[in-house]
Amino acid sequence: MDFSNYRLDAGFYDEVLQPDGTPRAHCKPLCDSLAGISAAELGEIQDRVTSSFLREGITFTVYGDGEADERIIPIDCIPRILPAAEWAELEAGLKQRVLALNRFLGDVYGECRAIADGVIPEDMVRGCPQYRREMHGAAPPHGTWVAICGTDVVRTEDGFVVLEDNLRVPSGVSYMIANRKAVKSNLPRLYRRCRVREVEHYGDLLLATLRELAPPNRPDPCIAVLTPGVWNAAFYEHMFLAHQLGAELVEGRDLLTRNGFVYMRTTEGLRQVDVIYRRVDDDFLDPLVFRPDSLLGAPGLLQAYRLGNVTLANAPGTGVADDKSVYAWVPDLIRYYLGEEPILANVPTRICRRPEDLEYTLDNLDRLVVKRVGEAGGYGMLVGPHATPAERESYAAGLRADPGDFISQEVLSLSRAPCLVDGRLEPRHVDLRPFVLRGRDTRIVPGAFCRVALRRGSLVVNSSQGGGGKDVWVLES
Amino acid sequence: MLARSAEGLYWLGRHVERTEDLCRLLLEQMGTLVDRPVREINFGWRRIYGTLGRRPPGPAVGVTESDDDYALADSYTLADDLTFERTNPGSVLKSFSNGRENARQMRHCISGEMWTCLNLAWLRLGARRIEDIWKAAPESFYADLAREMNLFAGVADTTLYRDDGRRFLQLGRLVERAQFTTALLAAHLDGVRSYGETADSEWSSLLRICLAFDIYKHRYGVEIRPARVLDLLVDDPRLPRSLCRAVDAAAETLGAIALGPGPSGAVRRLAGDIASAVHRPWPAAPSLDDHAERLRRLAGECLRLHDLVMAAHVDYDPNGAPVR
Repeated sequence: MDFSNYRLDAGFYDEVLQPDGTPRAHCKPLCDSLAGISAAELGEIQDRVTSSFLREGITFTVYGDGEADERIIPIDCIPRILPAAEWAELEAGLKQRVLALNRFLGDVYGECRAIADGVIPEDMVRGCPQYRREMHGAAPPHGTWVAICGTDVVRTEDGFVVLEDNLRVPSGVSYMIANRKAVKSNLPRLYRRCRVREVEHYGDLLLATLRELAPPNRPDPCIAVLTPGVWNAAFYEHMFLAHQLGAELVEGRDLLTRNGFVYMRTTEGLRQVDVIYRRVDDDFLDPLVFRPDSLLGAPGLLQAYRLGNVTLANAPGTGVADDKSVYAWVPDLIRYYLGEEPILANVPTRICRRPEDLEYTLDNLDRLVVKRVGEAGGYGMLVGPHATPAERESYAAGLRADPGDFISQEVLSLSRAPCLVDGRLEPRHVDLRPFVLRGRDTRIVPGAFCRVALRRGSLVVNSSQGGGGKDVWVLES
Repeated sequence: MLARSAEGLYWLGRHVERTEDLCRLLLEQMGTLVDRPVREINFGWRRIYGTLGRRPPGPAVGVTESDDDYALADSYTLADDLTFERTNPGSVLKSFSNGRENARQMRHCISGEMWTCLNLAWLRLGARRIEDIWKAAPESFYADLAREMNLFAGVADTTLYRDDGRRFLQLGRLVERAQFTTALLAAHLDGVRSYGETADSEWSSLLRICLAFDIYKHRYGVEIRPARVLDLLVDDPRLPRSLCRAVDAAAETLGAIALGPGPSGAVRRLAGDIASAVHRPWPAAPSLDDHAERLRRLAGECLRLHDLVMAAHVDYDPNGAPVR
């Protein structure tokens, strides 16, 4: 298997090959290994990787046309490899970002110094749909609002760039571990030769983090994972995490509150719950405070949280810090709270609520990416260069009607990595979602969920939009 | 443990057991189709539908309540109804998919090996339909699936931690088995009563469904006597799938489960009462009607046991529940 027909197009950073077609130093063992096997053998490896996902039922759910479909996420068997130095830069940048965003959340729900000092406009914060005034004055343990963060990072020819911070209920970590398990067992010799850092201890780090966030005087806290239920797209992950943590996987109907404490219904009676790793959106957490029609949370949950009798990870209201508009201010927030220059760059972003940015966006719709502020998962997004004139026209109408709901960015030249497609190696665009944990300390496993845009030329890597995954190998040295 | 998890495990046990039981019923019936007279084939279908408490899809194939009319419904249609019909809550596919769904929701409570075992069976089943299995040997379809359910039970036995989770799984299997066995025996006796004289082969097939045919021969020889068959299937604690063994084990399992906030005492008492009723000596020379009546009573008690288990541990009122 070689790269003889592999296209290296100018303008795209290739994760494996240099522009002259020779392997990058850290990818030489991978290229040597691929050279030593035939296309048929690599196809067999791919089949084994895929069938291991089928066998273990590692699925996600896609909704469309009113039907829910349980699908296997397509995984490419060729790992993406990151050398130690690149990872060190990423790790430092991600930790810096999570620390600053936690400070920001403590501030916007506390003293509002950044607003008073003019670092970020007040209307940008208070006008954000994810801003929760109910959280004003809350004081989560160790000032940790965001305990679990999944930051989307892409690489361009200029280096790593943060695409967005996912601070509410980031998903994908189970696939990071499942990918590792499948690829490691099918490429064992290459794995050993490369000296890859482990990721399988993520559950241990998550448990340590959640225990640190337990209310005081609860030395052996009861931890539960709160899921919306089996029909949620990420249910497999919720179940996986509960298993990793040795925690109960609860739904709203399993919880009740009494005298400001949260309990779950067990076979022997009620048991107090101390920490809830919630995978339910803010709106559905507590019908007494947020959406009154929600059946996914528990009435009185927020009161118990405010009393400090239960910890919610992540805290309600964190969405204000991963809002697609507020994102534009994150570099300034890092400078403001930490007095440091951001290690990881942002994508230059235009806020369409500003008339000049709206005008620019409408004038350049054919070469911009435009996103709805409130959407996620690749929904509600327009990739201008790939859209038809009719799609752009239709999107422009929505943009004009509610400009505050949109931001726009230049189309990034996402890096590409080789994937096995129809029996040969072809470049596909990739991103990276590492997971950062913050309790009293900040922790990160050396790895990530690498998403792949499997359609040729596509920049949309979301699983719900036809994306796949790759294992990420962070090298020891 | 979380009440909903316990309920999920309990139902997982029930659905896996039900799938296996259905497969053994149909496996035996497929064998009957090969070389037995029409009368025995009809007897077999009647017994299956009687066990499940259902009517065959009569209007669709012209079946009336007349005894002979099972012959009019072709076996293909009946096997499809009992195996793949999704609207039939008692079909093999429905039972198995319910069990697999329970397992999917409870994967964090069971071992990875248990999940893989069920999921592989699910993948093997795929989108198969009656025409696919009918063309090949349908017996092998039922035998393979029954074996996979057995494998699941063995894997559960060797991989699951011995706590209340495992006990609820086990309890589900045992309650289902007790209900199935009482229903099967009652349906068999109903058939015997309706048909008058019965052939040895019908009693033999009953033994095979309960995995007791070889044991019967070793113990009693080749002569088939209905009273001995019933003794073995109901009263013999050494027979792995006897009724008394199922109810004894259910009572023992319930005794080991921590008391719930609901009527736990009543559950344990009822389980003990059912076990005592099964062990109580039969009246001298009981008629088949006596047997049938006694089995129907036991079936009713088993249903009540299920309701009480749920009330004690799952569906209790949280307002009065103690904090542990």
